[in-house]
Amino acid sequence: MTPPGADGGPVPGLELEVPPKPALVRTARHAVAALARLHQAPEDLVEDIKLAVSEACNTAVARAESSQGSATEPLTVIASVSRGRIEIEVFDPNGKVSREVAGSPSEIDTEDLPFDRILALPIVRGLVDEVGITQEDRGSRMRMVVSLAATAEAPSAG
Amino acid sequence: MDLELETTQRDSQTVLTVRGEIDVYTAPRLRQAIVDLVDAGSVNLVIDMDKVDFLDSTGLGVLVEGLKRVRTRGGDLSIVVTQDKIVKIFEITGLNKAFSLHASLDDALGEPVSGG
Repeated sequence: MTPPGADGGPVPGLELEVPPKPALVRTARHAVAALARLHQAPEDLVEDIKLAVSEACNTAVARAESSQGSATEPLTVIASVSRGRIEIEVFDPNGKVSREVAGSPSEIDTEDLPFDRILALPIVRGLVDEVGITQEDRGSRMRMVVSLAATAEAPSAG
Repeated sequence: MDLELETTQRDSQTVLTVRGEIDVYTAPRLRQAIVDLVDAGSVNLVIDMDKVDFLDSTGLGVLVEGLKRVRTRGGDLSIVVTQDKIVKIFEITGLNKAFSLHASLDDALGEPVSGG
């Protein structure tokens, strides 16, 4: 099978809106995983991508759940592949970050990564090549990039 | 795939076999199953995750809670993990050092072969 875009044609991406509910995190991760498989990502990398998407969505879902019903706007998950990398963005309309970050997760101060659950932090640090978190007018956006070229050795959780 | 839970008794140990995906949606069911078992007196648990397709930080948190729960009652919790993708999650979080991880159910029911 010829990978999408290998012939110079347009590369399909995906954008989906999901209510911030635990039951729908699965939908988001499987959709992004399907896109990665479409681009012939190796299966171990697909598993990493699924986990990274889940952790990004979990943070937003936990925030919505703790709002006691006031946070109902859907999350937006956007994924695209170009130049051998998959870029995933999770926009949380209820998100607020105190400090914006960008770069390699292993080089970012732990305190600047806004994951509520302590176990999510080393997971994201260990799986993605780049992470960026920005505050926008209507919410926060997490951007993660994973190279599809080869499965890199997971960095230490440190 | 949703989460399926099955409990069997093997001598003094209780085996909780888990199949499917453990995530933010299904982890509360696993948490409740562990709580129910411990409350019923089953404090030597083996969680068989051979057929678990997905595990996130929420699921890991439930396992850590379970470990604390059984240890405060004088028991222990062992985990069977056979898939590299699941072992990797324990490793990058450092939890492979907190749990007794086993490559098979027979190993878990006998002597530890890894982790700890």
